[in-house]
Amino acid sequence: MRVVIVGGGISGLFTAYELWKRGIRDIVVLEERYLGSGGSTRNIGCFRSSFTSPEHVLLMKRSIELWLKYRDELNLQLKQSGYLWIARRLETLDVFKKLAAFHGEYGVPTRVVDPDKAEQIQPGLNRKAVVGALFDPTAGRMPVLENIVKLYLKLKSLRVVFHFYTKVLRLHASNYRVKSATTSRGVVDGDVFVVAAGGRGTRELLSSINVEFPVVDETRHPVITEPYTEVIRPALIIDWDTPGAPYVTQTEHGGLIFARNISDAHEAPITSHRIDVIGTTIKPIIELLPALRYVNILRYWIGYYETTLDHHPVYGPVQPYENLFVAAGFSGHGLMMGPVTGELIADWVLNGKPSIPLAENLTIERFKTGKLVKELAIVG
Amino acid sequence: MGEEVKKLTIICRCNDVTLEDIVSAVNAGIDNFEVLRKYLRIGFGPCQGRSCIVLAARIYSRLTGVKLNEALSDYKVRPPIVPVPARVLLAGG
Repeated sequence: MRVVIVGGGISGLFTAYELWKRGIRDIVVLEERYLGSGGSTRNIGCFRSSFTSPEHVLLMKRSIELWLKYRDELNLQLKQSGYLWIARRLETLDVFKKLAAFHGEYGVPTRVVDPDKAEQIQPGLNRKAVVGALFDPTAGRMPVLENIVKLYLKLKSLRVVFHFYTKVLRLHASNYRVKSATTSRGVVDGDVFVVAAGGRGTRELLSSINVEFPVVDETRHPVITEPYTEVIRPALIIDWDTPGAPYVTQTEHGGLIFARNISDAHEAPITSHRIDVIGTTIKPIIELLPALRYVNILRYWIGYYETTLDHHPVYGPVQPYENLFVAAGFSGHGLMMGPVTGELIADWVLNGKPSIPLAENLTIERFKTGKLVKELAIVG
Repeated sequence: MGEEVKKLTIICRCNDVTLEDIVSAVNAGIDNFEVLRKYLRIGFGPCQGRSCIVLAARIYSRLTGVKLNEALSDYKVRPPIVPVPARVLLAGG
């Protein structure tokens, strides 16, 4: 059986890996540009399971378990140093208490902390601006570029076939089965097709076989500084009460990354210059951590949140086709969900159903039936 | 070139990437310059690639036979080009 995966990013790679582990040997990955050139190498490398829907919490809990397993198996790097959600307003602490109770029900040990404790977790916090915080010790971060390359080299050694700079233009189906894909470099036949081509890429490809996938690529502009010794202790510090939820993380190499959701032209070109966003992005975080006003900004880059109507990914079979599956629309969480994505898609391809039953709520059918999943904690 | 020399030849001065690092990564199977650059963090430091990127791309080109302009086709220069203090950019924000 030949499985054709459209998209050489983290979702496609983990799907290939999981299928290989379950005995599939003929796997072809088609990528429009280079390895991980969409969201997979443009994100900030953070992960958490402290979401606000049961689907997201349970899937991400499983994904973190798998990341830890693959850390050992593939010699990946990752560190669980926690997320610190900062409250500036007293009302927010009530929201945090409810969230901590919700997370506790699903076995995620987040807790509300007072400003003293928050300052222990992150020295140098501006006490005047902070009324408390929510801490998730199981969240963390990883060096993205290193990990995705290690996974790629492993897949190459397993003889998974990669075609880069190969854009899939159309899928061809008859009798409710996808037979082939026309690419910029020829036609590829297959028995099973998995589309994991990000937001717009997946939407455009599915439209070639009359499947509507409501998703928009929202532009983000992360900003990185020169490297410094460790100043940010948790994996991520998020300013919950400021519009656009600005945040800061520090990479393994010392660079501080700031980002914020700033309303922008959706699907703006990936090279569009928006130097004006830097000040707006860093300002709220510098209020929280005043010493950061002395850092030097190196550059910013552009990435996308492939955002669906309910900020949850779309997984699984694409009706009415029998052999077409999708994994896209991660709304900013594709890297962290990579391992569970691979597991669930392999489940659907080989067993017809996911090993986590709640994942059934995330199929593309929900946009037709109107049964959207609610998620409140979308950050940056 | 001797192995010792490869270890001592720094290509990216910001991140201490040596000639040997590049040769090893290509031998390990990295088959795209942009991926190699991201993996070794060439051009990610304060110089933003001004002193290293063409040097690294030429070495990659020589090792793989990929043309220099093809090797560099996905490389993007990202503003603000030179390091700028945060407090300066705050004024515009």
